[in-house]
Amino acid sequence: MLDLKLEDIDGILVRYNVALEKEMTPDEAAEELYPKDELIYPVAKAIYEGEEDDVVDALQAAIDAGKKPIDLIDDALMVGMGVVTQLYDDGIIFLPNVMMSADAMLAGIDFCKSQTTEVPEPKGKVVCHVAEGDVHDIGKNIVAALLRANGYEVIDLGRDVPVDEVIAAVEKEKPMMLTGTALMTTTMYAFKEVNDKLLEKGIKLPFACGGGAVNQDFVSQYDLGVYGEEAADAPKIADAIVAGTTDITALREEFHKH
Amino acid sequence: MVKKYTSMAYANADELIFGNSKFPVKAGLGLEIGAGYTSPEVNYAPRPGAGASKEKLIKEYERITTDIMARMVQIGAPSVVLETEHVQQMSNNPSWGGAVAHAQKTIMEEYHDEYGIKCALRHTIGDIREDRDYLQLRGDKYSTFMEAFEEVANNGADLLAVESMGGKEVFDYSILRNDTAGILFGIGVLGSMDMEMVWSDIADVAKKTGTVASGDTDCAQANTAMFIAGGLLDKNLAHTTAIVARAISAARSLCAYEAGAVGPGKDCGYENSIIKSIAGVPITQEGKTSTCAHSDLMGNIVMQCCDLWSNESVEYHGEFGGTTVQCWSETLAYDCSMMNVALKTGKAKDLRDILVLSDKYRDPQGYVLAYDNAYKVGQAIAKDGENNYLRAKNAAIECCNIVEEGVNSGKLRLTRFETNALAKVKADLEALTDDADKFMSDNLTKFKQEVAVFKPENYGL
Repeated sequence: MLDLKLEDIDGILVRYNVALEKEMTPDEAAEELYPKDELIYPVAKAIYEGEEDDVVDALQAAIDAGKKPIDLIDDALMVGMGVVTQLYDDGIIFLPNVMMSADAMLAGIDFCKSQTTEVPEPKGKVVCHVAEGDVHDIGKNIVAALLRANGYEVIDLGRDVPVDEVIAAVEKEKPMMLTGTALMTTTMYAFKEVNDKLLEKGIKLPFACGGGAVNQDFVSQYDLGVYGEEAADAPKIADAIVAGTTDITALREEFHKH
Repeated sequence: MVKKYTSMAYANADELIFGNSKFPVKAGLGLEIGAGYTSPEVNYAPRPGAGASKEKLIKEYERITTDIMARMVQIGAPSVVLETEHVQQMSNNPSWGGAVAHAQKTIMEEYHDEYGIKCALRHTIGDIREDRDYLQLRGDKYSTFMEAFEEVANNGADLLAVESMGGKEVFDYSILRNDTAGILFGIGVLGSMDMEMVWSDIADVAKKTGTVASGDTDCAQANTAMFIAGGLLDKNLAHTTAIVARAISAARSLCAYEAGAVGPGKDCGYENSIIKSIAGVPITQEGKTSTCAHSDLMGNIVMQCCDLWSNESVEYHGEFGGTTVQCWSETLAYDCSMMNVALKTGKAKDLRDILVLSDKYRDPQGYVLAYDNAYKVGQAIAKDGENNYLRAKNAAIECCNIVEEGVNSGKLRLTRFETNALAKVKADLEALTDDADKFMSDNLTKFKQEVAVFKPENYGL
């Protein structure tokens, strides 16, 4: 068979990921971001490493040394998760790291809750769902994990969620944002129904939609739609809402790229 | 029950070429797939809202079918395959699927009778075997699922296909956590078991109705890995991990052919080149012409030994040059014309190799799927062809070895992330037991505990 000479390959394609690779290793980059507090540092490091048992041990040590369990959620767990999301946004670490760190963070939150009667205050509440008739939920699972990793409480309705169940959940939970994912043209049509029924009930909240078949043009056709091209857009949209951008038009201005 | 593959269909990799299969398939109206020429396979999706009623859906597919057939005749294409991937309304209501198949075939027959164009209709049944968050692979949903195949087969579909979802609940959890054993268990063990059941029954339907049990694809798992992995700068999954999932998927998708499928394998089975090397069946592929559906890093290389060439899927709506299906069927037909000329002029292998080399060093995924390497993965599978677990593990290890060879040649360059991910996967694989029963037992225990939606009864366990 034919083959290319080594020197000719570069003229045909560029492995930009190789060409642009940063010198610093992920562990080195993480080390620069860890908090200096000797009690918080082990928690953050264990979060980064995705080691649930180590997270719990480090939290126990911090509590034994006088730290309040409820404060450790924001001061240690979320700081550690902040390191992870920073490295992820910078392209230094990748999604499996984030997923395992999120699992470890959730284990840490559960542990902190079990050590106190105080209730932690999330940044906000988000309801997530996969469109009615659609069973493709890995995208929604990633969205939910990234939202939790960024400090949001997530009400995960699962997949193939009937429109009326979505409406009922929004009425009950009063979230700051609703997300929907769909992989097929015929299932994403349910998003327009969700939009219409929310408006009928006088509910106006940002409805962040994404998934394989969903595109910005479609999402822009209904009043509450905000298109998320990547799963990582979901926590950014949520952060924008918390920061004060609640108007749909303004959110579209910020997040619609095409 | 099923005849397992333990040898290769071809004596060497160089025999793998587009438009030619060891075992061509006759289907539909005068079409011979893999018998010395390539044909376009056009896939499409109805517009949002078109699924609101049976009548609206039928009308939508009539428009789609007419648009494609008219364009094919208008540009002089000698042959075409239409693929209807069911929206869930069609599979959940088998009579809808049957009515659509009938309407489409009626139009195709008109064009065949009037112009002589060779054509066939593939219907890909949606895998509806779920109960909200759980897979429900057996039971009531299974009956509806199989009825959907019967309805389309009795009413006009020539080729029967599905993208089955067995093992996905374990895979989805595992791929997001770099769990090598889980990826292997989900795709290579659970997925294979489900395939053997499903495809034995689909083959029965095909036999009973005089249609063709065509093939499956690991869209639910290996394609999920490919999509999560994304482009060069995406940061969600190492491409070295994605290609290992793909290699394992070949061991799984091969089960369809062992249970009675004869091809063509579905377009989004990027594992099809590996399967063709083992089973000799015709295959459909999607690549640069499926950018209307998704971006990937193997746009040219997948043409290497395709028998049908596809656009994956496009939503039906207007473009400057006509409707989407008119535009994309035309693009596909011109590509097929190029391949067919290469075949007739004795230049097919040169064209094949040019296509391969344009992508071989773009990414580890293309590197492993290049026909010379795909053939090696095929050999690794055939070596333990009798055992689903061992052959899937063989495929994964061989995949790692192939990537390492590419790196050692200096031509395939990996990032540190890809290198580390490859090392981890290979170390994990080499640590796994060779005892299939032990692997099954250990992972049943593990995933029953770790994955809330995993129900062993879905696999008869």
